[in-house]
Amino acid sequence: MTQTTQHATGGLRELISFRIGAQEFCVDIMSIREIRGWTAATALPQSPSYVKGVINLRGAVLPIVDLAARLGFESTEVNDRNVIIVADIGGQVVGLLVDAVSDILTVTDDVIQPTPDVASETAKTFVRGLIAMDGRMISLIGLERVLPELEQEAA
Amino acid sequence: MSITVLTVDDSRTMREMLRLALSDAGFRVVQAEDGIHGLEVLAAESPQVIVTDINMPRMDGFGFIEEVRSDARHRVIPILVLTTESDVEKKNRARMAGATGWIVKPFNPDKLVEAIRRVAA
Amino acid sequence: MDPLAAIRDIFFQECEEQLAELESGLLSMEEGDQDPETINAVFRAVHSIKGGAGAFSLEALIRFAHVFETAMDEVRSGRLAPSSEVLKTMLRAADVLADLVRAARGNEPGDDPRAAALAEELKALSGVTGDDETEEDWGEFEFQPQQASFDGPETAPQTGYMVKFRPRADLYAKANEAALLLRELSRLGEAQIQLHADDVPLLADLAPEASYLAWTVTLIGDVDETTVREVFEFVDGDCELEVEPIGGATPAAGGDEGGGFDLSALLARVQGDGAAIVTTDLDAAPETAPEPVVSVAIKPSPPAAPAPVVPITRAATAQAEAPADTQAGAGGPRKAEVAATIRVDLERVDRMIDLVGELVINQAVLAQRVMEAGLARASAVAVGLDELEQLTREIQDSVMAIRAQPVKSVFQRMPRLVREVAAMTGKPVRLVTEGEGTEVDKTVIERIADPLTHMIRNAIDHGLESPEKRAAAGKPAEGVVRLSAAHRSGRIVIEVADDGAGINRERVKAIAIERGLIAPEATLSDEEIDNLIFMAGFSTASEVSEVSGRGVGMDVVRRSIQALGGRINITSKPGKGSIFTMSLPLTLAVLDGMVVSVQDQTLVAPITAIVETLQPKAEDVHSLGGHARVISIRGGFVPLIDVGMALGYRAEPLLATQGVALLIEGEGGARAALLVDAIQGQRQVVIKSLEANYRQVPGVAAATILGDGRVALILDIDTIVAVSRGEMRKAG
Repeated sequence: MTQTTQHATGGLRELISFRIGAQEFCVDIMSIREIRGWTAATALPQSPSYVKGVINLRGAVLPIVDLAARLGFESTEVNDRNVIIVADIGGQVVGLLVDAVSDILTVTDDVIQPTPDVASETAKTFVRGLIAMDGRMISLIGLERVLPELEQEAA
Repeated sequence: MSITVLTVDDSRTMREMLRLALSDAGFRVVQAEDGIHGLEVLAAESPQVIVTDINMPRMDGFGFIEEVRSDARHRVIPILVLTTESDVEKKNRARMAGATGWIVKPFNPDKLVEAIRRVAA
Repeated sequence: MDPLAAIRDIFFQECEEQLAELESGLLSMEEGDQDPETINAVFRAVHSIKGGAGAFSLEALIRFAHVFETAMDEVRSGRLAPSSEVLKTMLRAADVLADLVRAARGNEPGDDPRAAALAEELKALSGVTGDDETEEDWGEFEFQPQQASFDGPETAPQTGYMVKFRPRADLYAKANEAALLLRELSRLGEAQIQLHADDVPLLADLAPEASYLAWTVTLIGDVDETTVREVFEFVDGDCELEVEPIGGATPAAGGDEGGGFDLSALLARVQGDGAAIVTTDLDAAPETAPEPVVSVAIKPSPPAAPAPVVPITRAATAQAEAPADTQAGAGGPRKAEVAATIRVDLERVDRMIDLVGELVINQAVLAQRVMEAGLARASAVAVGLDELEQLTREIQDSVMAIRAQPVKSVFQRMPRLVREVAAMTGKPVRLVTEGEGTEVDKTVIERIADPLTHMIRNAIDHGLESPEKRAAAGKPAEGVVRLSAAHRSGRIVIEVADDGAGINRERVKAIAIERGLIAPEATLSDEEIDNLIFMAGFSTASEVSEVSGRGVGMDVVRRSIQALGGRINITSKPGKGSIFTMSLPLTLAVLDGMVVSVQDQTLVAPITAIVETLQPKAEDVHSLGGHARVISIRGGFVPLIDVGMALGYRAEPLLATQGVALLIEGEGGARAALLVDAIQGQRQVVIKSLEANYRQVPGVAAATILGDGRVALILDIDTIVAVSRGEMRKAG
């Protein structure tokens, strides 16, 4: 169902890493379509605060999710240096607002360690594993629940 | 070189059934939707065998066979008509018009192929 | 997909087309159309459905189609006059056939008793009694070996046959080949073939298309006589053929008669002969006189052939000749009238529409950039851009036109509905349709079928009076429902009119008061009263009759029309009838919008919903407590809705006098005024889905991309009004 499980048995996988505040995260490169600069979004009424609105990507209307806010950090103060990672999540194209993209990592599956049990609810929802690299810790995130759940619609 | 068969039938379903059966047997299939269209395709494709329905709009199978036979170049093309068992008179009229043989609908693909092989040199 | 399943899909698609053809043909016959091609087309439709059903062994369908076809054939051959009664039966048969097709498609059991009853009626029309004829005929539709076509008595396998075969010229004229027949025969066993060339004249006397050769084949093999005769099946009547069993005989020793050849040599030889005949054929100058027509038909059949065939064949042949001739004759000249068409995958068209939509947006972006760059309107660049815009619009219109289809496909479903509802209500009804050729986007067509069905049902059930009442009012017993379509100022207008009693305004008003939809003391114009029927909650269970039932009220009709960007209203004259008029956009891909500013956002309001725009004056705006406000327009009060508040763009309402109000007509004909900051202008916008990548957002119908390249939201006016109404009720 998800990119993560799809590759779970294979050897090498490529990940894109990015920073939110002081923390590093990464997502499977397979779900990433492109990375582009920030453009102002059109606000959507009745949407959670982490949905910044919608932008025009070559004629398609795609929602922008502030990944920091979605992961439970402080909302991103948008400036021109922010980037949008355009991801394909189950057939929907979604823009993820992050501070900056730092690296492309090639790792083997055994490098990815399971998320410890102590993690928060947010971590359980999004974090698929942890990678230790050069003394840093990078959280691998699954994107399938980035968009607001249908239940929240009622609110 | 594979044998080219021209199928003339106004029903898309029939045309596709014929195409499936014939191309499975290794024939090249060209299609037409009625007699007039059949004459056009005939001029363009020079098939070795023609399989035609009878009841079609614009030009029916009888008219089509007569037209084909009236052209000296097409006198020796075998023409099989698609007919139902009960249509004895249709079968005979088609033969009078110059049909070579007939295929009983709904056709059994093997029998169809056999009939074509029987008339195709 | 498995190829057979794909063909099955094609079959059912084709059935729908043929059912439509069938019905429209029968209706046209009912109106007096006697064109043989119409009758033929109707026959062909049933025949094709039967043929395809046979291929898929859809028994119930085959059975019914066969009976129907037989009856139709009676009409076609002139033995049964297409009287009004006959055609009514056939129309009902067409309905049953349609049901059987749909049942077969869904692998569901059909309505057997109904089909059986109608099959009996059809049989009565064709003069067929009992089941014998039909039962016997079913066999032919099964996938049976083709041997069945030679329905002689079973013959026991023999060990040998003597086959005497003398082709006539006709055999070659039908492109049969003696050589191929001999080849086929020799496959059945061990064959000794003797050629009799005694009749071949001298070359000078040789007629190019005559037949001079004959063969005797001694065949040894474990085959039955039927199989042997079957080789000559296609040339039956075009040759002299004798097949005689040789009981336990061994093949005659070759050379006994001096004329024997070994097989391969002989085949080579006859092949050569065949080829020679073929060659002469090609250069053939003289036309050989065809054998007299009758001789083929009445040529004594081989012993195995059924005897009674002969007289039937003669009669039927003579009779069938005439119509076919006219048909063939008409074929030629008509050719030019048939417009060439191609079938295109809808996805490809939609992809193209998308691309053109992007082109329109890009063009607008470019135009805006050029403006911003300060280039003069008369500059070459600006002029070029204007031309580009023109061209882009034309491309867009042309592409949209590809998706456009005549409303015929929906209209032609209605006669059946009318028949059914007429039968159910006991009211004789005549349906008149106009403008079936009017084209509109495919999606619009698909989505008006349900509302239209409901409206027509309603027109008969509620609109038309009973025959007795009509008689009392001096009207003809038969009511008329008129369904029409026309293009009017860039939209399609569809009307459903009845010549019934018209809206009973007293009663409608009473119901509306009873159900709390209007205040008892409200003074309403006739038009306003008529339009009450569209209000949610107007029709309730007690109102639902057997016919208009299903708990669908006119409010649902109105909503589905509005969901398509359309509007519907009713005009009614007491005693004369009612007219429902709906007006719909020609396409769902673009929309005429009013571009407005709200807070720092740019939004688009569909122009169709906007009645007028106005500048609120302070004295016209009244607070109802909370944020709820009303504005007085020409003496009436309508709620004033702050769009910025409704969408959560601002927390404090805009001062009414600082904005502009859009007077809109929402659900149920109720009006409201939407307060926005400013109006930027009107333009056509390309509709983009929000759901594709996100989800539905309350208050937002869709999105579009404006000239600055940014996304603007298109307002869902009904939702905004409904939500604000709810809040107003709380506040009030």
